[in-house]
Amino acid sequence: MSGSVATERRTGVLGSSVPRKEDDRLLQGDGRFTDDVEPARSLHMAVGRCPFPRARIESIDVEAAAAMPGVHQVLTGVDIVARTEPIGVLRPVPGAVQLPFYALAEEFCVFEGQPVVSVVADSRQIAEDAVEAIWIDYEPLAHVTDTLAALEPDAPVIHPDRMESNLLASNPQHRGDAEAVLRDADVVVGDSFQIGRVAPLPMEPRAVVAEWRPGARELTAHVATQVPHLVRMQLAESLRLDEGEVRVITGDVGGGFGLKLGLYPEELLACRHAMDLRRAVKWVEDRLEHFRASTHARESVHEFRIGADADGTFVAMTDLYTTDLGGQNSGFGSAQLSSIVFTGPYRVEDGAVERRVAVTNKTPVGAYRGYGQPEVNLARETLIDRLARRLGRDPYELRLQNLLGADELPWRNAAGALYDSGDYAQCLRMVAEAIDYERLRAAGRGPGEDGRYRGVGFTCFVERTGYASAKFLANRGSRYGAHESVTLRANRSGGIDLYTGVSTFGQSNETAFAQICAEVHGIDFDAIRVHAGDTGATPLNTGAFASRTLIAGSGAVREAAQELRDKTLRIAAGQLSVEVEDLEVVDGAVVSRTDPDKRVTLADLHRAAIIGQGLPADEQPGLEATAHFEPTDAAYAYGSAAAVVAVDAETGEFEIERFVLAHDSGRIVNPGAVEGQVRGALAQGFGAALTEELRYEPQSGQLVNGTMLDYFVPTASDLPAVELLHTEVPSPVTPFGVRGVGETGTIPPGAAIANAICDALAEYGVEISSLPITPELVWRAIRKAGNGGESREG
Amino acid sequence: MKPASFEYLRPESVAEAVATLDLYGGTARILAGGQSLVPMLGMRLMRPGAVIDINGLGEELGRIEARGSETTIGALVRYSEAETSPVIAERLPLLGTAIRHIGDRQVRNRGTLGGAIAQSDPTGEVALVALTLGATVLVTGPGGERELAADGFFVGSYANTLGPEEMITGVRFGVVPSRSAFFERGRKHNDFAVLSLAVVATPESDGTWHDVRIGMGGMNDTPVLARAAAERLEGARWDEAALAEAATLALRDADPPEDVRASAEYRAHLLPIHLGRLLAGLAKEPRHG
Ligand SMILES: Cc1cc2nc3c(=O)[nH]c(=O)nc-3n(C[C@H](O)[C@H](O)[C@H](O)COP(=O)(O)OP(=O)(O)OC[C@H]3O[C@@H](n4cnc5c(N)ncnc54)[C@H](O)[C@@H]3O)c2cc1C
Repeated sequence: MSGSVATERRTGVLGSSVPRKEDDRLLQGDGRFTDDVEPARSLHMAVGRCPFPRARIESIDVEAAAAMPGVHQVLTGVDIVARTEPIGVLRPVPGAVQLPFYALAEEFCVFEGQPVVSVVADSRQIAEDAVEAIWIDYEPLAHVTDTLAALEPDAPVIHPDRMESNLLASNPQHRGDAEAVLRDADVVVGDSFQIGRVAPLPMEPRAVVAEWRPGARELTAHVATQVPHLVRMQLAESLRLDEGEVRVITGDVGGGFGLKLGLYPEELLACRHAMDLRRAVKWVEDRLEHFRASTHARESVHEFRIGADADGTFVAMTDLYTTDLGGQNSGFGSAQLSSIVFTGPYRVEDGAVERRVAVTNKTPVGAYRGYGQPEVNLARETLIDRLARRLGRDPYELRLQNLLGADELPWRNAAGALYDSGDYAQCLRMVAEAIDYERLRAAGRGPGEDGRYRGVGFTCFVERTGYASAKFLANRGSRYGAHESVTLRANRSGGIDLYTGVSTFGQSNETAFAQICAEVHGIDFDAIRVHAGDTGATPLNTGAFASRTLIAGSGAVREAAQELRDKTLRIAAGQLSVEVEDLEVVDGAVVSRTDPDKRVTLADLHRAAIIGQGLPADEQPGLEATAHFEPTDAAYAYGSAAAVVAVDAETGEFEIERFVLAHDSGRIVNPGAVEGQVRGALAQGFGAALTEELRYEPQSGQLVNGTMLDYFVPTASDLPAVELLHTEVPSPVTPFGVRGVGETGTIPPGAAIANAICDALAEYGVEISSLPITPELVWRAIRKAGNGGESREG
Repeated sequence: MKPASFEYLRPESVAEAVATLDLYGGTARILAGGQSLVPMLGMRLMRPGAVIDINGLGEELGRIEARGSETTIGALVRYSEAETSPVIAERLPLLGTAIRHIGDRQVRNRGTLGGAIAQSDPTGEVALVALTLGATVLVTGPGGERELAADGFFVGSYANTLGPEEMITGVRFGVVPSRSAFFERGRKHNDFAVLSLAVVATPESDGTWHDVRIGMGGMNDTPVLARAAAERLEGARWDEAALAEAATLALRDADPPEDVRASAEYRAHLLPIHLGRLLAGLAKEPRHG
């Protein structure tokens, strides 16, 4: 089945799978990552970290380390508190008390891996030797690592100077009176869902190279980040510099996934050392540090309820959920989007959602692809299947009955989100047809000839892409806007240089921006050169996260390209003595439509503009345009997935035989890039759904599997085959009708697989309420059901 | 993750390597494929006085030799070579099968059989096969050569009876039973095993099975033989009842660990199920071949 394509296609580069601009250099080994930056006489930094989940530093003796040959400087928390400001939080938790933190702990440590000392030496080896030679006396303090236990009255309060409990904030939202509706509902299902803590794990860990030229008063920081302009702001604030004195350059970034949002302690420390030493200082995070010092994600507990009429109509949903912040804030903090999409793509009038944020003695949590959406999706979608079983209904039919119809959009959900447009049911029908649901259902669940049971699981979701507006963000205290900015500058070779603060970390933005520029302007795709991620050269923007780059960036590129095109045509019209309306850009030249012999190359026009010769009398020299664009609203991508799973009821082992995803990302700029994004995100979704989980041992408070040896991130060999289907319904709220696509794939795997397993084992009454879904978890669920395991349905 | 400093030495013969081990009084470590040693150095879990790189000793340690009923594999033979070796495919098919469950292609291109036995990982495939097939570990030290039975060589998690100044030169296999089967279950593709099983036996024309040996990985702090289970099946017909009994008897020799991969309880639950299935599959295969 092919999706209905609701937009007409212009011929040309927009909408085609042109090869990615980024790939030529990356595939030839000519990418330039932060670790590739090697200023002359660079020094290297290593960081000493707290080995306890919570401790008071009694004393630090750096004397031996500082005296080691090759060691240049040792900094401790006392130095840092005196000489820097706390690191600013980009997206504070609404309503929360401030928990300022410094790059090094001064007296109290609140998680294992927290930086306590930093050393700069001639080599990383020497710096690590020196860290070992620093003697630190710690007094371990009572700790708590479990999210819900941290909120119990007897839990040690982690920040007693600023908080009375470990509850940082609670953010309730509601529409109607969900409690009353639930009281009167014919049937209510509810459960508590535990979502495991995971590591986003980009292939390139974090990295920084810092240089300071005191005479020029210029700090140049090469940082692997998704938000160079925001890091510049944070560095200036913490180092007490003017923003004009700070230049942040990203180069190529080897994956971000939300983890590389905002300033981390190590980046600040490298800059501080570089300024003191007047030498370049490099720090590249190693994988052991990464597991403890880069943000984690997802961990949360959702108490979700759905009420329905006897005929299956959903009447109310509630979600009281607790996210785990870790020991202190990170740039972005724990996920916030569970609230905004908790009712999913369904027709639900009454709803209440409350987000609570708990502080625990673990690595701080930050943004990660999906940012709350996969978590809440598991809770809601597994409960819909349980509701179907309670009512004796088919879960597919029950979803169709409750999905919002295309004609009901735009629709404001109970959390205030405005779903812009789409045909949600179409995606669900597409996946059901793709797996031949009717035939599977008729064949029964088994056991089949191989002794295994077969089940089908569905899930439907919406995905918030982009931000509502700067105003929406301001209400939540965010320190960035909702816009993107682009500068286009003509060059004398007849090409266009495109400058963007959106750094390049695998999201294909260089390609997509160039495609839009080519489409609007008419210039060849190949004649556009994208320069990304240098704050010294690019217009001040927001950055790449929240599936927002294209939604805002496409508008900025469109406006700038239009402006550049208009001026180019005006100059050409003057030179060729024709009307502007008669001109178009074709093959690197401006050509008259009526008389193709009248043409002038872009190179000639650009040169004329740049040197100011041969211009119409009223034109100024120069050919350059900067545009800023803020979309009117967020766009909601959506989709449905179906999983077919074979389960061994004796062992709990299972195999995903088919996984089909149908999704809509609005107007597609580059189908190849979209497929890459969806498949990549699915891989991370399968990881979090099936194998990945960071485990803390409650007694010691230690992370027990913080290595690639014991943290089970899937490889290509572990992933099931995935079949992708698309529809292309344009969004009315964005340029070209695009929707974001970066996070889609992370959302459906957990719910679809859980539902398929429970469907296969329906005769046992198996229920799954947590991620990751390991074979052992399934075995325990079977055993619990077999023991008449008490059902928690209310 | 940078190692503490160490001396790096590259001997030109086994004799020189052993002399160097002796010189460092047991504080030196052999570097073979480096797939376990290098990460341990990086994490500073090991701080040897010297690293003795034996990768130049291919002449002495890199051969696979079939002599009469014996097959000897040099310590420096890489997993990938063993995997594709016709000699091993013909004489030690169990080993060839088991090796395909180790790590990824890059790991198998570098990792060596000698390194695997020295590493003595409780879930190591090569150690499991060596134990199951009753192999002999060939060792050279300052006091000369020693031959150590694999049964008894592995004495704990990552621990064996090799002396600190000794090195492994190879592993020797004798005649092996005619039939074998291997099973492994891990948390992800080719990860260290939650449970691995190796079974060998020879069926006779009267329907009974002989020379039965069953090895288990991940079920103890070393690979272990399921002796009680093997005894139950030795000289017996493998009917459903016998197989079911044997599968349960395997638990007698198991004391499964509890770790991030699986709980002890789940490992114990899986053992009889998968062993039962593996044995049933072996019993069902046609008798010849
Ligand atoms: C990603 C990855 C996945 C892996 N998966 C598996 C797996 O599934 N199953 C598995 O069994 N292993 C696995 N391994 C470990 C791998 O098999 C190791 O290579 C092997 O255990 C050691 O062999 P090596 O040649 O690399 O030894 P090295 O790393 O060089 O040495 C390992 C230890 O043995 C000692 N040593 C090496 N050779 C000798 C010798 N001849 N005499 C005395 N001492 C010696 C060294 O001093 C060191 O202490 C994996 C490794 C990686 C990196």
